Amino acid sequence: MTAVSIASLAVGVSACGGGGGGGGPTAKITGTSLTVYSSLPEQGASGDQAKAIENGVKLAVKDRGGKVGKYTVTYKPLDDSLASTGAADEGKGAQNARTAVQDSSAIGYVGEYNSGISKVTIPILNKAGITQISPANTYVGLTSTAPGHEPGEPDKYYPTGKRTYARVVPKDTIQAAALVTAAKQDGCSSIHVFNSKTTYSAGLARNIGLVAPKVPMKIEGNDAYDPKAANYRSLAANVKAPCVIQTGEIEQNGVQLMKDVATADKGVKLYGADGICLNASADPTKGIPTTLAPQFKCTIATLDPKTFGPTGKKFFKDFSTEYHQPHPDPYAIYGFESASLLLDSIQKAAASGTLTRQKVTDAVFSTKDRKSVLGTYSIDKNGDTTLTDYGLYKIVGKTLTFDRVIKSNPSLVGSG
Amino acid sequence: MEAASITGKPLAATTPVAAVRAFLGRYGLIILLAAGPVYFAIHDLLQPSHSLVKLGNVLVAGISNGAIWALVAVGYTLVYGIIELINFAHGDLFMIGSFVGYGMFGTLGLTLTTGTLGLVGGLVVTLIVCMLVCASINVMIERVGYRPLRNAPKLAPLITAVGFSFILQNVGELWLGGSQHGVTDLIRGSTHVINLGGVTIDRQDILAVGLTVPLVLVMTTFISQSRLGKAMRATAQDPEAARLMGINVDTTISLTFLIGGLLAGAGGLIYALYQTNIWFFQGFRAGLIAFTAAVMGGIGNVRGAVLGGFIIGIIQQLSDNRIHEVLGKNFGSEWTNVVVFAYLILIMVFRPQGLIGEETREAG
Repeated sequence: MTAVSIASLAVGVSACGGGGGGGGPTAKITGTSLTVYSSLPEQGASGDQAKAIENGVKLAVKDRGGKVGKYTVTYKPLDDSLASTGAADEGKGAQNARTAVQDSSAIGYVGEYNSGISKVTIPILNKAGITQISPANTYVGLTSTAPGHEPGEPDKYYPTGKRTYARVVPKDTIQAAALVTAAKQDGCSSIHVFNSKTTYSAGLARNIGLVAPKVPMKIEGNDAYDPKAANYRSLAANVKAPCVIQTGEIEQNGVQLMKDVATADKGVKLYGADGICLNASADPTKGIPTTLAPQFKCTIATLDPKTFGPTGKKFFKDFSTEYHQPHPDPYAIYGFESASLLLDSIQKAAASGTLTRQKVTDAVFSTKDRKSVLGTYSIDKNGDTTLTDYGLYKIVGKTLTFDRVIKSNPSLVGSG
Repeated sequence: MEAASITGKPLAATTPVAAVRAFLGRYGLIILLAAGPVYFAIHDLLQPSHSLVKLGNVLVAGISNGAIWALVAVGYTLVYGIIELINFAHGDLFMIGSFVGYGMFGTLGLTLTTGTLGLVGGLVVTLIVCMLVCASINVMIERVGYRPLRNAPKLAPLITAVGFSFILQNVGELWLGGSQHGVTDLIRGSTHVINLGGVTIDRQDILAVGLTVPLVLVMTTFISQSRLGKAMRATAQDPEAARLMGINVDTTISLTFLIGGLLAGAGGLIYALYQTNIWFFQGFRAGLIAFTAAVMGGIGNVRGAVLGGFIIGIIQQLSDNRIHEVLGKNFGSEWTNVVVFAYLILIMVFRPQGLIGEETREAG
C-alpha cells in the first residue's frame, strides 16, 4: 500500500505540470489523424462496466467507419485502475490524462467512470483544452453549485476558466430525488442512509439528506462506513428505519453492508444507487445473495430498452450482435452516446474547415435538442445533460431487470 | 505495574498523589479497557427500557470477530517470537485460506441444499485442506525466502516478507479476480442458536469461537508440554544456545511457520463462512488488525495475541455501534480505526511490552 501510495504521489506530482506537450485549445489540428481516449477502471468490480462502455465507444466509432469527415479516428482505451486494489486510482487517472495531453492528435476523452477520478483529470485536460465527456459521473460538484457541492466547486476544476467537461448522465441531485421517491412509492415511512466516503457516494448521501425533507421522508440516520472493514454487523444493528439507501459502490464493500443490514433486520428494503446498480450485483457470486435479491432495488440513469426510440433500439440490436450479449450492461449505451456526442461535435467543428480542440468543446456545449439513443437532450452551460429520468431496477433470476421509471420532480431538485 | 515501577518508589504509597499513581499503574489499563463497556452499560440501564440487550449483542459480535483476529494474530506472534520477523505475508496467507475454502466448497459440491451430515463432513475436510495448504505455503515461504536470510540484516527478510505479501495478493487476484466474491452462506450464519433474554448468539459466532478456542488451546498445550514445543521456546530465547544443546533450529523454525500457517488456514475458512464475502485484498486489513492485536497483547506472547484479538474485536464493534453516541452525529463507524489505534497507543504508553508482556529475546 505504501509503495502504491508513493507511486500515485509521483504520478500526481508529475501531473502538476498541467497542459502542454500536445498543442493547446486553439491550436489548429494538423494532419488527418485524430485520437479519442477513454479512461475507465478495467480491473476490479467495475471492470464489466468499463468493458461495456469501451465496447459502446468502439461501436460508435465503427458506425462511422472510423472516419469523421476527412479525419481518421483512432480509439485508445486506457485503464485507470490498479491491479493491486481492484479499484480506480487517482494517480492512474492523472497518468491517463497526461497521456492524452501529450498526444497532439488527441481530440477527446471519454471518462472517468468514478467522480473522484474526474476531480483529478478534469483540470489536466482543461489546461490542454481537450473535451472530456463522462458516461458515468453523477457527483454534482464537478459541474455545478447545485446542493451537495463542496466549497470552491466546480470552478477549481477549470483552471482556464472555460468549461471542457460534459456528461451524459443526470447528476446526483436528480438521482437522490429518484431514490427517495422510489422508497416513498414503495411505502417506506423512513430511511437510513449509508455512504462509503468517496466523492460520489458521500455527495449523493448529502443530496439525499437535502431532498428527503422535501418529499417528505424522515431520515433516521446518515452514516459513513469504512469500505475496508471486514463487516458492519454492529453498525447495521443501529438501523431503525424500514428502508435503507446505500450509496456506496460495489467495489467499496457495498454488498457486505447490504448483507449485514439485511441480517440485522430481515424485512428491511434495500436501495442502492448507480454505484451498485450493476450486472455484477445481480450475480450472487459477486453481489447480492439470492436470498436477499427480492429486498433489493437500485437506480441507474438507463431506462427500459423497450421504451427507447428507434435509434436506441438499433443500438441494443447492434450491440448485442457485435458483442454477442443479449443483455448489455446498462452502461454500454452511455459509452456509445458519449462517443457519439464527441464524434458528432468533431464533425460540426470541422465543418468550418479549421479544426481545433476549442471548436470541439464549443460544439459539445452548443448541443441542443439532440436526438440520441438516450432520447432528446441538450447540454447546459455547466456541461450537464437535460435528461432527468432514472430507471429503478430489481433482481429477477440473477439478472438486473428494469422495474419502473422514476420521473424527476422539479420541486425536489435544486438549481445550480 | 510497569508505569509504577518506573517511578522507583515503593508500591506502598505514602502520599495521596503517589497512591493514585500506584493505583493507576496497577489498574489503569483494566480501567481503560473496561471504561467503554461499563459506560455503555450504565447508559443503557438508565434508559427507559433498562436493557443491556444492545450492548450484549455488540459484545457477542465483538467476541466472534475477535476470535478470527486472534487466530491470525497468533501466527504473527509465533513468528516474531522465534525469529523476530514481522511476517507481512501472514495476512495474505489468511486470504489464501479463505480462497482455498471457497474452492473446496465447489469441489466438494457443498451448497445450501447439502444435508447436515454431508455439510459437516465437507466442512471438516475443507478445514483440514485449508490448514494444510496454508501451512505448506508458509513453510515453503520460510524455506525459500527467510532461511537464506537468517544472518542477513533485519531489513532483508522484512522486505522479502513484503514481497511475499504482494505475491500472495496477486495470486488471489488471478484466482478470483479483483472483485469481492460472494461465498454461499452454507451454515446460514445469522440463524440464532441461543437467546439469552434478547442477546442472541448465532451460528457464525459459535463457529468462530468454537473453532478458535480449541485450536489455540491445542497449540498452547503443544508449545508448553511437547518436546518440540520446548524446542520452540528454547529457540525463541536463544537460537545459538538451543543449537549447542542439540536442537535443530531450522526444523524448529519451520515448525513454527507450519503452526502459524495451520491457524491462518483455519482463520481464512472461518472468515469466508462468517463474512460470506472474500477478496484478494482482505488479508491486508486483517493482517494489520491482527498484528496490532499481537502488539497490544505483547508480541511473541501467544496468550497476549489471543487477548489482543478479542479486545480489538470488541472495540471495533462497540465503536461501530456507539461512537456517535459519545462523539456526536458527525462521528460514525469510519472513525473505528482511530479508536482502535488510540487504544493501542494508550496501552503502549502505559505498557510498552503489551498487556501480558513480550516474550522475545529483546524483552529478555
